[in-house]
Amino acid sequence: MEYLIHLAILFAIYAILGISLNLVVGYAGLLSVTQSAFYGIGAYATAILLTGYGVNFFLSVILGMLVAGVVSFAIGLVLSKFNGDYYALVSFGFNIIVFSIFLNWQELTRGPLGIPGISRPLLEIGNWKLEISSNLHFLILASLFLILVYFISRFIVNSSFGRVLKAIREDEKAIQVFGYRTSLYKSIIFVIGAMMAAIAGSLFASYITFIDPSSFTLNESIFILAIIILGGLANLRGSILGALFLILLPEILRFVGFPDSIAAQMRQVVYGVILVLLMLYRPQGLVGEYKL
Amino acid sequence: MDIIPQLILNSIIAGAIYTLVALGFNLIYGATKFFNLTHGVLATAGGYAVFYFGKTLGWNIYLAVIIGIVLAGLIGYGLDKIVYSPLRGRKASNMVLLVASLGAFTAVQAIIAILFTSQFQTLSSDIGGQKIYEISCPVAMRSICYGVGSAVITQTQVLILISGILIMAGLAVFLKFTLIGKAVKAVSDDEEVAKIIGINTNKIIGYVFFVGSAIAGWAGIMIGFDTGIEPTMGMSLLLKGVIASIIGGVGNIYGGVLGAFLLGFVENFGIWKLSGEWKDAIAFLLLIIFLIIRPKGIIKK
Repeated sequence: MEYLIHLAILFAIYAILGISLNLVVGYAGLLSVTQSAFYGIGAYATAILLTGYGVNFFLSVILGMLVAGVVSFAIGLVLSKFNGDYYALVSFGFNIIVFSIFLNWQELTRGPLGIPGISRPLLEIGNWKLEISSNLHFLILASLFLILVYFISRFIVNSSFGRVLKAIREDEKAIQVFGYRTSLYKSIIFVIGAMMAAIAGSLFASYITFIDPSSFTLNESIFILAIIILGGLANLRGSILGALFLILLPEILRFVGFPDSIAAQMRQVVYGVILVLLMLYRPQGLVGEYKL
Repeated sequence: MDIIPQLILNSIIAGAIYTLVALGFNLIYGATKFFNLTHGVLATAGGYAVFYFGKTLGWNIYLAVIIGIVLAGLIGYGLDKIVYSPLRGRKASNMVLLVASLGAFTAVQAIIAILFTSQFQTLSSDIGGQKIYEISCPVAMRSICYGVGSAVITQTQVLILISGILIMAGLAVFLKFTLIGKAVKAVSDDEEVAKIIGINTNKIIGYVFFVGSAIAGWAGIMIGFDTGIEPTMGMSLLLKGVIASIIGGVGNIYGGVLGAFLLGFVENFGIWKLSGEWKDAIAFLLLIIFLIIRPKGIIKK
């Protein structure tokens, strides 16, 4: 049971990441492979603020989002100069640069040693206090965040803002003719996506209670991309489906008899092959509405 | 200041390694016009093939190297036939090809990790005795390696440098003077027109994948003898090759070589005062600066 709760928490975290990236890749058509950088910024913000300054978890979430927002705005400015595969390539680069900063800014992040002893969230309203220490409570918290992110995203994509994004994705020149500043729209959705990824990072840091740079590599970004492509681009429920499948995949592999040591690598083989097969036969993913 | 000759030499060695990756990558990019991300993992595959045949099974090391090169070439060829060729036939966008190659990359890398564990392995060792010594110079035998000023270079590194130049020259001659080479150039210039004048473009692109991937395999093998191999080395190597290609002029063989050496110098002088972990970040900063101020690279096509 405890293990199921653990999986459910991971699922919630990755579903948030999936939704956050789907806004950028699925709705705006920008092939960004740098989401784990913002995920990492959120995680480090929470880790540093909780262990070093005793800041409340919920405040650290907001601060982490702000940092991720500022960084992603700067990155988005550079990225807005590129299109298509060059966009993807430059976004790779930013992931690696941010990863290098996690690894090398040792005064702040302790580098490869990582930050241990991150406390669980503490809910404090007036005199009433609740420490979310059990995994079940944490699952409820993570689910609440997931629901919040899901509904905010749904609101965004169904709004006129979201429709402009889809129009940019389909034909950027055409929508420019109507007087929309497309670069502004692209920057805004990129920043929103990054801030949502930072929430997932804060949850991750507080749940695992230890983080190091190895959780925020380029591979992690590719994994998040696999989630949304598998589930379906431009479909928020698809991202949830994709996260569910890829989180359960190692368990399925273990169930059919692969040893633990191989299950993790086997997952990579499976999702790598899935990506190839999807591109060959179903480029919009399972329930997607947009083809790359 | 004693460190400068060594820095220059290290830059040249790094440049030579990136040259090997960039040459194959550029050749394939020229013909297909997409970022083939599996290119990096083929270097890993080549290295591990030598590790398996030469070290685990103890076969003749030269034979193992040849197997490694051919195997990398065949994997590249196979991926083209199974994945990229059908996608091209369907006029898939570059992003689709990029994601597909990302998937293939992830899968092949994980398969290598399953087969050989994630451990760091080195190719040069005592197995095969003298024979291995001929093409490698372990740290322990620095005294018999060539010294240039106060800088040191191992025999493997000399081999990397020479093979890089030879492969570049060979490719240039091949493209200029042979019929197939001219066909490759025609496909690179305009695939549609090449088709119209009767060139079997799919066949030509298949050859290009084989040759380009085999060069990547050679690069991986050389790195295995120089420092060592691990399953995850492909990504960083690939990205260096891509960056070298783009800053030099993508799709242009000489451009890739120029870019590779420029990258080698900037990286090595960049970490002069910083820690070596910043290398990748420096490389990407260079790429981003280039893409903004000179997006077509040093040598425009």
